[in-house]
Amino acid sequence: MNNKPGEDGMSVNGSRKEGAEVLLMGNEAIARGALEAGVRVAAGYPGTPSSEIIETLSRFSETGKLYVEWSTNEKVAMEVAAAASFAGLRSLCVMKQNGVNVASDFLLHLTGSGTRGGMVLVTCDDPGALSSVNEGESRHFARLMEIPLIEPADFGEAKEMTRWAFELSEEIRNVVMVRSVTRMSHASGNVVPGPLPVLKGKAEFICDGPVSDVERGPVISAPVIQKHRLQQEKLRRAVALFETSPFNAYAGPDKPELLIITSSACALYSREAVALLGAEGRAGILKLGTTWPLPPALLKRHLLMAEKVLIVEEVLPFLEDQVKILAAEQAREIGIKTFYGKNDGTLPMVGELNPDLVAEAVGRILGISPPALPAAYREKLQEFAAMVTKREQTFCPGCPHRASFWIIREALQRDRRRGFVCGDIGCYAMAALFQAAGFHTAKTLHAMGSGTGIASGFGKLGPFGMEQPVIAVCGDSTFYHAAIPALINAVHQKADITFIALDNSGTAMTGFQPHPGIAVNAMGETAPRVEIGALCSAMGAPVVCEDPFDLVRTRETLNRLLESPGVKVLILKQSCALSPEKKGKKQFLVQVDEALCRGEDCGCNRLCTRIFRCPGLLWNRERKKAEIDEVICAGCGFCTGICPAGAILSEEAAKS
Amino acid sequence: MFQGGQKELKETVLDTGLCTGCGACINVCPYQASYRDWTVVLHHCDLAQGRCYACCPRTPADPGSLLPRFYDAADLTPELGAVKGFYIARAADEVVRRGAQHGGTVTTLIALALREGLIDAAVLAGEGDALLPRPVTIREPSAAVRQGKSRFVVSPNVAEFNRTAQGDAERIGIVATPCQAQALAKMRIQPVTASDGGIGKLKLVVGLFCGWALSWPELTSLLGKKTDLTAVTGMDIPPSRYHALEVYTKEGIVRVSLDEVLPCIRESCLSCGDMTAEFSDISVGSARLPEGWEEARLWNQVIVRSERGRELLETARRQGVLEFREVPAGNLEKLKAASLNKKAAAGRSAARRDAGGLKERTG
Ligand SMILES: Cc1cc2nc3c(=O)[nH]c(=O)nc-3n(C[C@H](O)[C@H](O)[C@H](O)COP(=O)(O)OP(=O)(O)OC[C@H]3O[C@@H](n4cnc5c(N)ncnc54)[C@H](O)[C@@H]3O)c2cc1C
Ligand code: SF4
Ligand code: SF4
Repeated sequence: MNNKPGEDGMSVNGSRKEGAEVLLMGNEAIARGALEAGVRVAAGYPGTPSSEIIETLSRFSETGKLYVEWSTNEKVAMEVAAAASFAGLRSLCVMKQNGVNVASDFLLHLTGSGTRGGMVLVTCDDPGALSSVNEGESRHFARLMEIPLIEPADFGEAKEMTRWAFELSEEIRNVVMVRSVTRMSHASGNVVPGPLPVLKGKAEFICDGPVSDVERGPVISAPVIQKHRLQQEKLRRAVALFETSPFNAYAGPDKPELLIITSSACALYSREAVALLGAEGRAGILKLGTTWPLPPALLKRHLLMAEKVLIVEEVLPFLEDQVKILAAEQAREIGIKTFYGKNDGTLPMVGELNPDLVAEAVGRILGISPPALPAAYREKLQEFAAMVTKREQTFCPGCPHRASFWIIREALQRDRRRGFVCGDIGCYAMAALFQAAGFHTAKTLHAMGSGTGIASGFGKLGPFGMEQPVIAVCGDSTFYHAAIPALINAVHQKADITFIALDNSGTAMTGFQPHPGIAVNAMGETAPRVEIGALCSAMGAPVVCEDPFDLVRTRETLNRLLESPGVKVLILKQSCALSPEKKGKKQFLVQVDEALCRGEDCGCNRLCTRIFRCPGLLWNRERKKAEIDEVICAGCGFCTGICPAGAILSEEAAKS
Repeated sequence: MFQGGQKELKETVLDTGLCTGCGACINVCPYQASYRDWTVVLHHCDLAQGRCYACCPRTPADPGSLLPRFYDAADLTPELGAVKGFYIARAADEVVRRGAQHGGTVTTLIALALREGLIDAAVLAGEGDALLPRPVTIREPSAAVRQGKSRFVVSPNVAEFNRTAQGDAERIGIVATPCQAQALAKMRIQPVTASDGGIGKLKLVVGLFCGWALSWPELTSLLGKKTDLTAVTGMDIPPSRYHALEVYTKEGIVRVSLDEVLPCIRESCLSCGDMTAEFSDISVGSARLPEGWEEARLWNQVIVRSERGRELLETARRQGVLEFREVPAGNLEKLKAASLNKKAAAGRSAARRDAGGLKERTG
């Protein structure tokens, strides 16, 4: 790869490159597909690996042509997209796997009511939880909600399928789900851009007909039985289309020993695995693009080809279960098969797959041992592995969360009632994931906003003898997303909790998407800010705002709050070290005075590099002194205040 | 020389309720801190040997073998430690007496030491918020008067000493309870390390007699029920037959029965066998006089222990800043008996602890 995908945006948007291959990231290809379908409204909530889709589209947003928003959460995003569909426009909503959980309450009703303008739900799953705290499987939602599911297996398909999904949605008058995975969304490949449509159509919600009129009536899921039946009829129409869909393709011998059924990134792994084993003559691959509901005739044709069937997919055996159901239904015609997959342990039930794992599985079934790596290659690999420096997973240099958790730690220790923190989702989840990063304070971590809900529950256990003070931490974006109802609950139930909003002015973890607390929206327009402090005050909670870089003062405040009953809100405001206004600019020039540094002696024992562990601080083993890595140090100056010897000196940097 | 680190300190002292709150382990490193009247571990230190453990007055050390390192063998008594002289004294200056707990001897000695240049800084317990003392360092003799009166909640004076010793003060004096004096003594025999807290600067220890100190949360919750805490100006424990804690408030004296007060005693004080601050240069406590408590409360009993203590007292006498009266017959014996009582109670408490028993409060 020599040119960065989609760098200037032109390759995604540029119609002048139409027909010529361009290099696009999977998420950009999905965005391009939506543009080619004439999408008018796109809404989403940031979450790796999905965020680039909305980001890409926001670059092409234009009043009256394409409206793009970062919504407060996935459910709202889906509602916003649904409204556009009801008004006859094509709309897209985008989220990561667990976002679908959040949206699912609405989705259940939306699929019951049906849609009008083509509406596509893109979900990006994260097998292996590379940037998630779960391996959630969004595919099950397609079945649960009875909507079609399609899964691209390469970058061209990512674009094509997305474009087609809008047509399908209009055909069946319901939402269509497109599912990607990290390795699809974040890898790049060649895509042939198609023409961009001339945008037409005026938004109008036609609702003057009777309830039974799906085209002109009110959009509701009632009468439920009638609408549900209609939904299933439409789904059958989708299945009929799937039978002949070009997104399902078989490659391999006519009578393979082993039929591999797969989809998504696993199709790539399967092809590589078969090639690696040199088993092209013995194993055939049925790559499915339309994975729910499975087209039975197509499946029957392929199941007839082989006695042994291996299903290759990531995380849970979704496809496997569906194939087995079809096989049972068609047993009389196709005969008895031997199935391999996750249920029998041929492939692991958790984590990502890769070509090696698939090759091993195929090799075991076919009795071929995968070729060993050449010795020289193996050596080289080890050599490279050794060159990669081990980096601890922790907060960035200059990160205000490090300072916040340092203060929380000291305040809790001073308080001495064995208090703890209920963590939440955002960069600061690291405090719970890596205890050294959170200084052993954060002890629970679940869904967005759950930290506050859990704290609300803990905060009512006093009468049961619980003496520990409870802190809930919540990032600014997470606050708007899901913490508000939980906080209202805590206030109303008079739970004893200290709620700390870690306000770093942006959805930092996923790349600074704006949220309601910021005066700009996804389209770059100025937007009204919704203040966390004002919201909390309106709930009736006392609100204190402090700077996490002011160690002594903030610690005092927190200790005071920990001792008072009810809900107390502490907003720790300091923008992210990587925020546009801070990035690359040091507020302080920081240095270690070696003469003062106590090093490993009793009297310090490397507090800064052993416990505090900002990556900007290094321990010089030869000199047995701490030092600042000038390249890495962000110049926040917080560590000056923690050194017991006053050896970390800081000087206000000249303003540029 | 060190026999443990933070781990051992935590296991044997902090987690067992033995911590006196003296502050010896604080400000020598960043790992322990004082908050309210308790000592906490802020962060984990993994050094196997540390000064925190070595200087803590509650980690194992035999005071019997420590005393001869600091005092003339001829002066040592089993009951009271070294006794060079025993006096009844008080401040000559009435202003000092008015601001003092008893006779104002401590305040007078500290002010004198500062004026004479014996010390250039003094660590005392000042007034904090809501009955919580706050250690302070003073440089001016006149400032001593403002920090008079006893606070029956521990003040981490040794932590303040550690902090002051890292600054520009050269000769430091301190007013210390027995546990604090013990911590300072242990610091004096530790090998000097690169980041030594500057124990060499310690030039004067004025010890306070001490029966016990009270736990701040328990004391404030008790007194909060009896009076407005912001109106409290001081308190004292008159001789045992009164069986009361006297709380001085702007509206008058509130007497709280010792039955209610004794449960508020700090756990750690029950295991303390030192009533007269045996590791000081000069120790000061309340007096017992034939005229009774109303007169006795205006005087102090003073034990001079070291040569430096003797010189200071003599200077005070020469300059007329202290007044003296004759020691009533039997006073020293009574003090010895009281001191032995405390040692015996501490022994019983230690035995109970070893047996894993619950704490038992005794007067
Ligand atoms: C907790 C405690 C218990 C005591 N128990 C007894 C007892 O059982 N029998 C007895 O005879 N005497 C006891 N005393 C000593 C007595 O209360 C007087 O402090 C002593 O008689 C000196 O009186 P003074 O007028 O010279 O003091 P002042 O001239 O008023 O000076 C008192 C000095 O003590 C310092 N100080 C006050 N509180 C503390 C503290 N908590 N820790 C360290 N320094 C402090 C002040 O800063 C001041 O410098 C106790 C003192 C304390 C603090
Ligand atoms: S100033 Fe200190 S805490 Fe801040 S980035 Fe630099 S090394 Fe890290
Ligand atoms: S008694 Fe003193 S030295 Fe020992 S743990 Fe407590 S405060 Fe620290």
